[in-house]
Order: sequence, then C-alpha cells, then structure tokens
Amino acid sequence: MTTETASPTSETEPIVRTVDAGRPRRMSSWRRQQLAGWLFLAPAIAYVLFAFALPIVYNVMLSFEHTSPATISDFTAPWAGLANYRFIYHDPTSREAIVHTLVFTVGSLAAQFLIGFSLALLFSLRFPGRTVGRSLVIVPWLLPLIVTGVIFRFMFQAEGGAINQVLIDVGIIHHPTQWLNDPSLAMWTILVANIWLGVPFFTLLLYSALQDVPAEVREAAIIDGASPWQRLRLVIVPIILPVIEVTLLLGFVFTVKVFDLVIGLTGGGPANATQLITTWSYNLSFQVFSFGEGAALNNVLLVMALVAAPLYLWLSRDSLRRSSGGAR
Amino acid sequence: MSRLERSRALRLLCTLAAIAALIVILFPVYAIVVGSFESTETLFSGTFYWLPHAATLDNYRTVLGGASAATQETVSGSQTGNILTSLLVGLGTAVLALVVAVPAAYALSKYRMRVTVVVVSSLLVAQIVPSIVLATSLFIVFHWVHLVNSYLGLILADGTYAIPFAILVLRAFFFSLPNELIDAARVDGASEWKTFYLVVVPLARSAVITVAVFAFLAGWGDFIFALTMLNGSGIQPVTLGIYNYLGNYSTDWGAVMASGVIALVPAGILLVVAQRYIASGLTAGSVKG
Repeated sequence: MTTETASPTSETEPIVRTVDAGRPRRMSSWRRQQLAGWLFLAPAIAYVLFAFALPIVYNVMLSFEHTSPATISDFTAPWAGLANYRFIYHDPTSREAIVHTLVFTVGSLAAQFLIGFSLALLFSLRFPGRTVGRSLVIVPWLLPLIVTGVIFRFMFQAEGGAINQVLIDVGIIHHPTQWLNDPSLAMWTILVANIWLGVPFFTLLLYSALQDVPAEVREAAIIDGASPWQRLRLVIVPIILPVIEVTLLLGFVFTVKVFDLVIGLTGGGPANATQLITTWSYNLSFQVFSFGEGAALNNVLLVMALVAAPLYLWLSRDSLRRSSGGAR
Repeated sequence: MSRLERSRALRLLCTLAAIAALIVILFPVYAIVVGSFESTETLFSGTFYWLPHAATLDNYRTVLGGASAATQETVSGSQTGNILTSLLVGLGTAVLALVVAVPAAYALSKYRMRVTVVVVSSLLVAQIVPSIVLATSLFIVFHWVHLVNSYLGLILADGTYAIPFAILVLRAFFFSLPNELIDAARVDGASEWKTFYLVVVPLARSAVITVAVFAFLAGWGDFIFALTMLNGSGIQPVTLGIYNYLGNYSTDWGAVMASGVIALVPAGILLVVAQRYIASGLTAGSVKG
C-alpha cells in the first residue's frame, strides 16, 4: 500500500485512512470467505474422492489380485502380480475387444463429424422450418442408451426389420440380410446405431460454433470472391477449430465408454464380433466373476480414455484458470 | 432463372434436405412407438408395417399388468413398480447433483482459492473415466459397505454421470453473475451462506433447472449401474426391466417395445416443457465449461 508515499493533497488523505482502517477487517473477512469456500466445496471433494478416486485406485489394486467369487466379500485378495495382465494379453477375445473398440471409435467419430458438420451447416442457412428442425435433431441424444440399443435390434432384424425392408423395397438387396447373426456384418449395426446417437451432439455444438463466426468475416470472404468451399475451408473451419477439437475429443470420450447400446443391440455377439472392451470387461467381472481380469482390462480402457485428458485440460485452460471472485 | 427464383429454389432444397435428415433421425423413435402397438403375431410375422397394423394395447397391458402376452406367464414382474423405482432414482440423482454441485460451482467461480485449478481439473478428468471402470470397483466397495441392492448406492453411483457435468455447467453460469450483487449482499451484512442461498441460488434458477433435468435423465436412463449394483433384490428400474424382457433365447418384442416407449416418456415431456434448458445444457456443458 502507498501509505508512506501519500501525496500531501487533501483528497488522498481520507482514502489512505480508509485502507488502513479497513485492513484488519478485510483480513478476517478474507479468512471467513476462505472457510466458506472450503465448506461449499467439501461435499464435492468428498464425492469425487469417494466415487472417482477410490474406484480408480481400487481398480488398479484389483488388477494385481487373484480374485474369485469367494473374495468378493473381502476388500483384498491374494497378490497376483501381472497374471491378470498376462491373461488379457493372451486372451483372444480381449485382444479382439481392443481392436473392435478402436475400429468402433474411429468409424463412429469420422461419420458423426461429417454428418454432424453437414447438418450444422445446413441449419445455419435460412430456410423455412429451420428452428423446428434444429430442436428435433437432439431427440436421439435424450433416449436412454439401452432403449436405443433395443430399437436398433428391432430394426436390424432379418425378418420383419425395417432396415431390410427398406433395402429390399428399394432394390438394393433381394434377400433379408442377417445383420445380427453374421459376425462380419454385426459391427455395422453397432456403428450405425452409435453414429445415429452421436450426430445430434456434433450438430448442436458445431451449429452453435458457426453462429459465433462474425458475419463481417463471412461477408468479407464473399466480397473477395472466395467460393463456398474456399470460405468453408479457409475461413470458417479455422475460426471454429477450437470447438471442432473439443467436440471430437468429447465424442471420443463418449464412444470409448459405450456399453448399454451394445448390450441392448447385440450383447457383444454373434461370436464376440461386437465385443468391445466395456462389454467384455463386464463379462469377465460380472459373468465369470473374475474381477481381477476385468479390472486389468478396465485399466487398458482407462489408459486409452485418459490419453484424451491432457488435451482436454489444455483445451479447457482458459476456463480452468478463470476466476471472477469478488474475494481477494 | 432470376436471382429471386434461384434463392427460392435453394431454400426449398434446404427444407427438403432438412426433412430427409429428420426422417432418418426420428424414424427409430417412430418405429418403436408403432411396434409397441402391434400384436405379438404381427411382431413375429416377419413383416414390418409402416403404419400400425391392427393396433392393440396388449403390450402395455402386459407391461403394466405383469403377464407376458408371448408366454402367458409373468416374465420379470410388472414395469409399474419399475417406473416408480426409475422416478425415485432419477429424482434422487437430481437432488444429489444439486446438493453437491451448486455450492461447489459457486465456490469454484466466486471464491479465489488455491484448490480451484486442482478441483476443476479433476472434474474434467472425471468426465472421461468410463462407467464400467467405476462400476467394477464400486460393486466390490459397495458390497463391503452394504450399499449393493440399495437406492442410496444406485443414486450415489448415478451421480457420477451428473455431478462433474453439473459443477462445470453451473460454474460457467456463475461467471456471468456480476460480483457487485454478491458484494452488495455482503456489505448489507449477509453471511456467506445467506448470500449464497438468498441471492445467488435464486439468480441461478435457469442453470439449476438445466442441471436438474440432465441429472434426472441420467438417473432415469442409467443401465450400467443398475445392471451391476442390483441383483434380484426387487429394486429394478425400467431400463433393467427392458433388458430382462430381451431374454437370452427369445425376445418378448411386444413387452420390450412398450417398456421402451415408457422409458422415453420423461425425455419426451422434458423436450416439450424444458426445451430451452436442454439445448443450453448440451452446449454449455462442453464448450463454455
């Protein structure tokens, strides 16, 4: 504070006095506010420790233990070293599940992004019915995932399924396709269902990003004679790139986790053709009661998902550091 | 073609493209609604009818009454009780999310604390953790503390969907509240707690509703924790009921369709009455958080 250097003018005098008089009170109010802040945060910190930190740590512990149905009621089981990880490494279904998860994730993201971006561009044009259309686009996002799974199981049935019926009526195929019973085709069913499910998210986020592109920038590009494709590639995409990155990142996180949809649609079958890490881990833990092996596979998934963490934190860096607190 | 005609044709083309996209997007929902009114014979006839064929309420009677039309016996009980269970779990998740998230988001936005960066980073990372990882461990932890097969355990687990999201959305909202309002309340002598619940919470009403809607839908639609935490205890949400109707060898399609439609009802109602909150929640959660 500037008490010593205070100029002798009459206006500064009272201000300096106020600061000095206020100092002890401020200190106590600062303390009071810190205490209040901690109290407001306490339930959240307790919850995060209990529902996220504890399970993650415990999952790592489990993956090094020899579990059996008998050890479930105990908190710990005998040490197993790397046996569970060795099992995952040699288990053909686990390896397939990892490959399937990668294929499923990359395929879903590519299609969701292309379709979602096209719809976002479409809805940012002016035409009758755009508002109603935009609000209906989010419908798939709101359904319970298990319901989406069973709807697509219904539609992909060979006999009496809507999809075969359309394909036959249009003349693309002549005999019902065994979508759900043919191991080489089943991956398409979960891909189609997941793409359908994720498009609204991409559409909505990219649409709102497009709204934030300043009109002057777009107009300037038109005046400069840029073609629509050039405008998109050279002007619009660079501006909304941060949103594209966040959207792809969150899309990745959602897709790696998918479980309900596959259980409802194929149950991981036929012949494990649609077994993902999540569904196979469920099988290992809750069907075979081999929690250690399930936990080891979970950790593979966790590492895959957490690849996104540093990027996510970096993309959120502005919001992270931000604080508009009145308290100093 | 004149300029006017060309722009008119373009608009028509856009409308047609949007209609085509919406047909694809909405068709699956239409298919389950139509399917839920079909008789068992129609569902197993090998033909899909674009419009209800001999519509009947049998499936809903089956699902709400408890007897399976396909096998003439009780499969997994009636969904009537399950609806109550799902409502309770959804409401419980919403209450838990609000109790934990509203004060936390306030502290993380309006108080200058050293832990803020650590807590917000943990919440961002928490959003990434797959539920199956949590479910496997929580099952054993809950076994240990006797929370398996309980509403409390299920709601605590379902909170993992809602709480990180809720805190980040509410925090983004609180940034938009002017500090002067909070300072004014303090100058008037209000305690920190009174400032929070008499000034801040009422102003945050719309964000609180958004968060509550999403938390409710997360609890209502949860399947993975219900599947892993509940095993034949009588507590069975609608989602688990649907799964049980699927069966291992034969699917009772009528019952699956009708309970699927029932499971869509809250989302449908909320889409109509809380559209504004849903759209804002979907965008706020990811970009502005």
